[in-house]
Amino acid sequence: MGITLINNEISDRDFEVKEGEELTLNLAYFDAFKPCKINVKVHKNATLNAAFADFGKGKGKFEFNVYLEEEGANCNFHSACLASASDDKVFDTSVYHNAAHTSAIMSNYGITRDSSKLVFTGVSEIKKGSIATVTRQEAKIIVFDPDCKGACSPILKIDENDVSASHAATVGRLNEQHLFYLLSRGIDEQTAKRLITLGYLKPVEQYFDEEALRENIDKAIEEGI
Amino acid sequence: MSRLVIKNLHVSVKDKEILKGVNLTVEEGETVALLGMNGHGKSTLLGAIMGNPNYTVTSGSVKLDDVEILGLPVNERSKAGLFLAMQYPAEIPGVNSADFYKAAMNAHREKPMSLFQFYSSLQSAYKAMEIPFEMSQRNLNEGFSGGEKKRNEILQMKLLDPKITFLDEIDSGLDVDAMQIVAKAINEEQAKGKGFLVISHYARLYSMIHPTRAAVMVNGRIAVEGGPEIIKRIDTEGYEWIKTELGISLDKDEAPMNKVSIGVCATKEAALGGEKK
Repeated sequence: MGITLINNEISDRDFEVKEGEELTLNLAYFDAFKPCKINVKVHKNATLNAAFADFGKGKGKFEFNVYLEEEGANCNFHSACLASASDDKVFDTSVYHNAAHTSAIMSNYGITRDSSKLVFTGVSEIKKGSIATVTRQEAKIIVFDPDCKGACSPILKIDENDVSASHAATVGRLNEQHLFYLLSRGIDEQTAKRLITLGYLKPVEQYFDEEALRENIDKAIEEGI
Repeated sequence: MSRLVIKNLHVSVKDKEILKGVNLTVEEGETVALLGMNGHGKSTLLGAIMGNPNYTVTSGSVKLDDVEILGLPVNERSKAGLFLAMQYPAEIPGVNSADFYKAAMNAHREKPMSLFQFYSSLQSAYKAMEIPFEMSQRNLNEGFSGGEKKRNEILQMKLLDPKITFLDEIDSGLDVDAMQIVAKAINEEQAKGKGFLVISHYARLYSMIHPTRAAVMVNGRIAVEGGPEIIKRIDTEGYEWIKTELGISLDKDEAPMNKVSIGVCATKEAALGGEKK
């Protein structure tokens, strides 16, 4: 099953993915950024594929909580976020492993520009008894301008031994050596920065089902950089 | 015929002077072997000419056909006809290889290529380098093996068709078969009359690409220049004879082998070490 929510359609919601089912949840902000809280419960052998493309303007916190309630529940969450002008956005994406043999990927990529602020936070929690659980958290932000701020603070809470958990968090300026590599092949600085930015934001498109929506995301990325 | 003339080049990394007055000329049609012990500035020379931000040129000049290269932005140096095949090519997350090649090739011409034109040159370059064409859809250098990255550098050289190419240890990480593929690609460019300045620690590569001249770098300067026989001599005798015959003493401020052993690492260390503090 697939659900697509865009702009105003996004609001505080609770979803449930029933036994053996698969839910694709595609979310995108193109105009105003609205604070909001979404909870998803995933049951036995069910899968949540969620993707969020955020080009919204504004301030606030977007909260996304996934509860893997029964054995074999999976979650794949991928987001790409552009913060510019005076945006001040917090993404709190958490996953709770409440059963054995559950797996989750929570991946957040962001770009901050101008005097904006962007924070990626969230907890990946593995309850006692949730054996053979796999969890991964990724949070990466490129800070483009001197006045903008980016912060990543993924948290792992693990109360079980037999698990595989990893996290990666990086916040940094555009890598000088990456830029040099591209420039040294004749590409001008603006195009090189564009390529690197695209490389950060564009991969999220593959998680969106609708062609038209992918095109809109493409356009928003092009306009944003 | 194009000519690269390096005159009295001084380069520092942070506040440490690495190049202390380099003079060297490379012409189209020549292949110059750049020899010298680790940490004496070979990689620094190539990186500085290409404009790597880790290096600061404090004085001197580098001219390609009377155009001062050091005054140009990095991308213009490439467009002027220089190409550096790097020792450690950067892995660029999310940047699709084919998109990157297209942007690079278009930067080198007035009008963008047609898609057909682009794909046919890309395909033939992949074929020549014996790299599976599917690799063109992967992210640039990301997760490539050492050998794949090096072949990928030569692939880009073929696509961009530079007048003078710098090869910084292109043979490290290559197995014998891959080395032959790379050497063949270099030979083809040599036959077209292109120029090369080549750093390698192994006689094997040199035996395949037949340098026309050799230059030995000691203490950040070119200490000896001559014919290809110098390569053989260094391969069999090492660098000791330079000390005794030319009366040059080697600077002792090199880090010991177990700490930092190769040139580019030494400069990397200097650059990164400074940031951490």
